[in-house]
Amino acid sequence: MDWLSDLFGKRRLEDKLDSEIRFHIEELTEAKIVAGIEPGEARRQAMLEFGGKEQIKEKLRDVHRLPLIETAAANVKSAFRFMRKSPLFSITVIATLALGIGANSAVFSALDAIVLRPLPFPESDRLMRLDQYNPKAPGQGGPVAPVRLEDWNRLNSTFQAMAGYYTQDESETSGDLPEKVTMAAVTPRFLEVWGVAPVLGRDFSPDEERFGGPAAVLISDRFWRRRFGGDPTVVGKKLHLSGYSQTIIGVMPASFLFPVRDVDVWTAIGMDAPFAQSRESTWFTTIGRLKRGVTVAQACANMASVQAQLGHQFPQTDGDLKVSVEPLKETVVGDVTESLWLLFGAVSVLLLIACVNIAALLLARASERQHEIAIRLALGATRAAVMSQLLTEVLVMALIGAALGLALAGGAAGVFRALAGNLPRFDEITLDWRIVLYTLTCAVLVALLCALFPALHATRRGLSGSLAQSSRTQVAGRNPLQWLLVGLQVALAVTLLTGAGLLLRSFQALGRVSPGFNPSHVLTLHITGGYGETADMKTLGHRIDRTLDALRVLPGVEAATTSATLPGVPAQYEVELKLAEGRAEARPKIMVESRYVSRDYFATMQIPLLAGKSCPEDPGTPAALVNRSFANAYFSGESVIGHHLVATENAFLGSGEIRGIVGDAREVGLNRAPVPTVYWCGSASGPDPNYLIRTRAEPMAMADTIRRKIHEVEPGRSVFDVMPLSDHLGDAFADTRLRTVLLTFFALTALSLACLGLYGTLSYFVSVRRREVGLRLALGAVPGRVLRQFLYEGLRVSLLGCASGLLLGAAFARVLSGMLYGVTPSDAPTLLGVVMVIIAVAAVASLVPAIRAARVEPMQVLREE
Amino acid sequence: MPTDKADLLQGTLDMLILKIVALGPVHGYGISQRIQQISKEVLKVQQGSLYPALHRLEKRGWLAAEWGESGKGRQAKFYKLSAKGRKQLEKEEAGWHRLAGAVGRILQTES
Repeated sequence: MDWLSDLFGKRRLEDKLDSEIRFHIEELTEAKIVAGIEPGEARRQAMLEFGGKEQIKEKLRDVHRLPLIETAAANVKSAFRFMRKSPLFSITVIATLALGIGANSAVFSALDAIVLRPLPFPESDRLMRLDQYNPKAPGQGGPVAPVRLEDWNRLNSTFQAMAGYYTQDESETSGDLPEKVTMAAVTPRFLEVWGVAPVLGRDFSPDEERFGGPAAVLISDRFWRRRFGGDPTVVGKKLHLSGYSQTIIGVMPASFLFPVRDVDVWTAIGMDAPFAQSRESTWFTTIGRLKRGVTVAQACANMASVQAQLGHQFPQTDGDLKVSVEPLKETVVGDVTESLWLLFGAVSVLLLIACVNIAALLLARASERQHEIAIRLALGATRAAVMSQLLTEVLVMALIGAALGLALAGGAAGVFRALAGNLPRFDEITLDWRIVLYTLTCAVLVALLCALFPALHATRRGLSGSLAQSSRTQVAGRNPLQWLLVGLQVALAVTLLTGAGLLLRSFQALGRVSPGFNPSHVLTLHITGGYGETADMKTLGHRIDRTLDALRVLPGVEAATTSATLPGVPAQYEVELKLAEGRAEARPKIMVESRYVSRDYFATMQIPLLAGKSCPEDPGTPAALVNRSFANAYFSGESVIGHHLVATENAFLGSGEIRGIVGDAREVGLNRAPVPTVYWCGSASGPDPNYLIRTRAEPMAMADTIRRKIHEVEPGRSVFDVMPLSDHLGDAFADTRLRTVLLTFFALTALSLACLGLYGTLSYFVSVRRREVGLRLALGAVPGRVLRQFLYEGLRVSLLGCASGLLLGAAFARVLSGMLYGVTPSDAPTLLGVVMVIIAVAAVASLVPAIRAARVEPMQVLREE
Repeated sequence: MPTDKADLLQGTLDMLILKIVALGPVHGYGISQRIQQISKEVLKVQQGSLYPALHRLEKRGWLAAEWGESGKGRQAKFYKLSAKGRKQLEKEEAGWHRLAGAVGRILQTES
């Protein structure tokens, strides 16, 4: 830090030098006065004896000068001079780096926000998600019964506290129009678990957490601003939620990013409510906060023994259950992690290509500057000094590139959000100091990576010999190093192209899949409904049927139905079924996907009825339909219709008679082959099923008409999430879409960089060898031959690069294999396509310089001698 | 004022400064006076070499400097020897004696 204080203390240094010198002169004068010389004369003599004051000061300043900083400043100055002198070169380098660094920072900002950063809660690494599951009934685990949650919380020794929540959509009716709000019903200890306090107001009181206690809600910052304009006196005001008046007791901070982002209000639920006592209900998504210092494994073991204890106590309901404990972050972020690391890898390869590209440019440049460098070395500059100057030039350009790249990354955050749809945490992507720091580090590393080697190369000792030879008479030999760099770029670009090609082909295959239902012209929406309504399933069913009937008669609507799940949007409900009629023991267990739909589902989704009848008009008789896979898997050849299905593990589904067989549809996801499926007939799977409406025209064009109609029938309820089914399907593959689009973009950028690299290097060689070519032409060489020779040189290195790139690509494809659909990692059309593209691009990139070589005027070249 | 002044041998100034400073904290003026006195006016150090040398030695860490009051109440910069400087001085003294001995022996040889 000495130099730093020296730098800023320049003024102080000057003062000190002055007073040190002044002291000397004064002492000297005094000595002379003591010796008897008259004061004025004494002073004159002293000054004379001391010598040139200014010269001495300058010498002292020299001693204190900061060699490092001042050389650096000089280097930076010379870097700017260099950039001004060759603007085209500098712009190419800066643009390449801006793109490379910008793309890298953009992906890193996403990776950082989503994967690397902890969830935005205090000590969020202690937050765990707890799920109950039955190993015998896969696909059904998850939400926890209220009483069991309380048992867990009481019996465990590894968690500070556990709490649960579920969300439902409610109508808020204190305004002019009903407004849909998303409400989370939460258990006691909710805020303690998250470790967050309301920014206004207070937490729920024990009274409010009791069944029948005062109705109280906490509201989100967003809702507070939207609905109350950020009114600081909001605490104590009332909301009317689905007919109940609730008092606002507090406002949560904006930084409270609850995993269900659109929650507007939180309300406490009475765990002592009579309807909350069943051990079979599955209500709460459960979050626990580990005690400090407890590991996930310890918590798992502890919870296993807690549940085993409950299993003894309640063998009927708890005997088969197990508990899974997983860090909350993993359950929130999940699969996106893989895609983001993939993209980060791809974008780092892109940056590497950019570096190699610039290194090749610098090598070419360095041979042009050989003369200058040789002179500097001959004049006594040290190799380190010349190298540091060359490195500074690149560093300055890298920093400018990085600054532009940051701007690019800022813009890219928007692109990410658009591509990401409903992927988790994408709203948390921001450009902050971490990203800036990362970008700066990138710039410095890139500068070293691109420039170190060319600088070493340019300052080689042997090169000083080049001073002896004039650059004009020099005939460049082949430079294998530059070709190696070009080949490397091509190889890396091919690697990315292969990956992008495979993902694109997967995406295509996904689009070509025949889903077994017709997703176009279907509008989906929700109508608010509370779980309280499920107490009377009959009335609930009638309510939903009434709405559906009103929609069916609307002009422009072909059919309307409800379903608990959306077809083609990944969701699994696997259950084990038995036949009421019994079945031979030897036959396999009946495991099916379970779907809950109302009667016009098959007509609306255009799933063909193959045999028997569709769901009955009268919802009274329990009925079910099965798909063809079901019939084939469990009733090969026999008649299916008329059998009675019983859901053993699920009281809600009960039993039903098989009325018909429908075609196979890809219900659980477009990328999954149809599995044996049972459709249970009934309008009400819950208070808020998905409404599916087939329209004649563009579905969104009907949205307003439909909304108005629903308001007519259900004035107290609000309609929300109105969107075409195709958008849902698109969002379901947002992850796939994100990585496909971005990887393709990166691969194409890589290809253009490699193409530029090839073009630049070949052009450089053509210009260096102009004399040689001119001589050959003068001696009678055929221009066509010269053209072929350069073209061949460009193509040869591209093909070699391509071949090694395919090897790298094979490794890359193996990484991708889990993300592929409908193509193998060694998909021949993809690989062939990549090779064709490379040959075409390489040919174009080589042709221009090759033609230029063939058109060299021999006379002109010879005259230049 | 004596007329037959000897020129300082290249590199010996640093050693002389270290030696003087080793006697106790002293300012620049004091150093030039002492060199003059002790050498019986044979050696006279130019200020133009003395001060840069002092600052150089300070920067190398052989001398430590401190501002303090001189005998007459004026602010002066006092130099004193650091541990590193003491080692350096020993090294230079040893080197000097070896050199002087060698030169002396050569001059003593009879032709």
